[in-house]
Amino acid sequence: MPDGEIVVSGLTKYYRHVRAVDGLSFTVTPGKVTGFLGPNGSGKTTTLRMILNLVTPTAGTATIGGRRYVDLPQPLRYVGAVLEASSAHRGRTGRNHLRILCAAAGLPPRRADEVLELVGLTAAGRRKFKSYSLGMRQRLGIAQAMLGDPRVLILDEPANGLDPEGIRWMRGLLKALADEGRTVFVSSHLLSEMQLLADDVVIIANGRLVKRGPVAEVTASIAHAGKVRVRTPDADKLAAALSPDASVERGDDGVLYVAGVDAPAVGAAALRAGVELHELVTERPDLESVFLELTSGQAGIR
Amino acid sequence: MTTSTAVAGPVTAGHRRLIRSELLKIRTTNAWWWFALGALAWTLAALAFNMWFAHIALTDPEMLGGQGGPGMSSAAFHGSNVYTSGQFLGLMFVMLIGILMVTNEFHHQTATATFLATPRRTVVIASKLVTAVLVGMAFAVAIMAIALPAGALFFSAEGVGTLLDEWPVQRSILLNLLAFGVWSVFGVAIGTLITNQLFATLLAAGLYLIGTQLASLFFLLLSIWLDNEAVLEWQVIVPSIASQVMTSGGADIPGSPQWWVGALILLGYAVVAGTVGVLITRRRDIS
Repeated sequence: MPDGEIVVSGLTKYYRHVRAVDGLSFTVTPGKVTGFLGPNGSGKTTTLRMILNLVTPTAGTATIGGRRYVDLPQPLRYVGAVLEASSAHRGRTGRNHLRILCAAAGLPPRRADEVLELVGLTAAGRRKFKSYSLGMRQRLGIAQAMLGDPRVLILDEPANGLDPEGIRWMRGLLKALADEGRTVFVSSHLLSEMQLLADDVVIIANGRLVKRGPVAEVTASIAHAGKVRVRTPDADKLAAALSPDASVERGDDGVLYVAGVDAPAVGAAALRAGVELHELVTERPDLESVFLELTSGQAGIR
Repeated sequence: MTTSTAVAGPVTAGHRRLIRSELLKIRTTNAWWWFALGALAWTLAALAFNMWFAHIALTDPEMLGGQGGPGMSSAAFHGSNVYTSGQFLGLMFVMLIGILMVTNEFHHQTATATFLATPRRTVVIASKLVTAVLVGMAFAVAIMAIALPAGALFFSAEGVGTLLDEWPVQRSILLNLLAFGVWSVFGVAIGTLITNQLFATLLAAGLYLIGTQLASLFFLLLSIWLDNEAVLEWQVIVPSIASQVMTSGGADIPGSPQWWVGALILLGYAVVAGTVGVLITRRRDIS
């Protein structure tokens, strides 16, 4: 097993009668940014907390580099985590918050200053936490995750509360960390952000795995990917005018999905047949449409 | 390395790190400072009152109307009373610090960071218990650093000597130290049981301040109803009364058992409370 690999196997969590996570299995590999996507309430946070031994699974296991989190000899030196509902004492300075964790983990206190510099909070580090903006709190969370210079990073919605500049900074940081060979596992509901950031994605809904793999592969797997969508008031005439290589599937409202020929060929056929066109486009689904198609109807009442 | 059975095991480097971390948590916030000021103010007030009381009892026992029996006129009783001045609210303050050591983690959502740094929760709670005992005893030492010299001067001036050479007085001073340690343990245990900070602190302070009187009243009524004075001895099962019995030798409670009965009951509660605290925290989901 490669160092820094996260392996989730049959992970399950029941809260009374609710199945928050249901038999979830996937692997997160080092050297890449892996996005963890799902609608609100789909079990992302519960899964991350089970990986980190904060929530006890009903069944199944999660290991990081082959060990359960609780069995890691020096957890902060191996795994850094930024989680929601993780905070600091309002009356304590950010720097003291980090120094307390250094003391607990056996890290030298100077690491607190080093990570504050890394996230650009050196000046604010001596101010009390209650004066921090949401963006500064997120930066402190990232500083906390980086204290032990970890091999594996797990982040739950890290972009929440960051301004566009902060989001760009975070994207650069996470990509750089993955390029250094670290494992970066990021949950998010911001699909457009994941498309820019992630190499692989794991998509869940209702606590179950829906899809996983490289972003390009996942987006290509959607229905109609790569097909030409054409809308016309005279669908039958156009279908007859297309070359025999083309296979045609009919959608609603005069839409045809054409495979086997490209968009210019469809346009040329329409011109020859004198058919009026209202739309002509090659389907290139983004992560968002994949996500919506895969999870539709699964985010219902829980 | 640390193991889940580390509570009973020797103190490892990991434990020392965690105790340092817990002490840093207390030092980097303001709450302990307010509690220390409160304990200091209360100690000075209690010291003045206990000295006044001792002065009257030792010089003019008739003024007390012969109440309280022979114990009230013994110098040793007043020695214990004056030298442990400040205990009543001091114990409550160290209990509240113990409560805050746990409930702060939930109130300010730092439990996640704490358990990420140390996923073995038994070790975390054990370190909190040890740290609470250290802080509680530091409070006791600070309070007695005032009460001992002041009391020694007072009793010398009263012409009864310092009384510090009498075993019952020495015992009270040592047990005062123990009481502060035990009530800190109660605080941590209460915090693990009730993680809502406001509720835990109000309930514990309320029970400590009012519950003791209510329990005494209950046992008094019970003894009248059963027509049996021995029932009064049973009130030693109430922690705060057990604590009083232990440190004062029971002299100020009618029909009181021996001091060591109070000590054993109090230690029993501390062990049960600490164990329950560890077990609850091991099972809790942090989210």
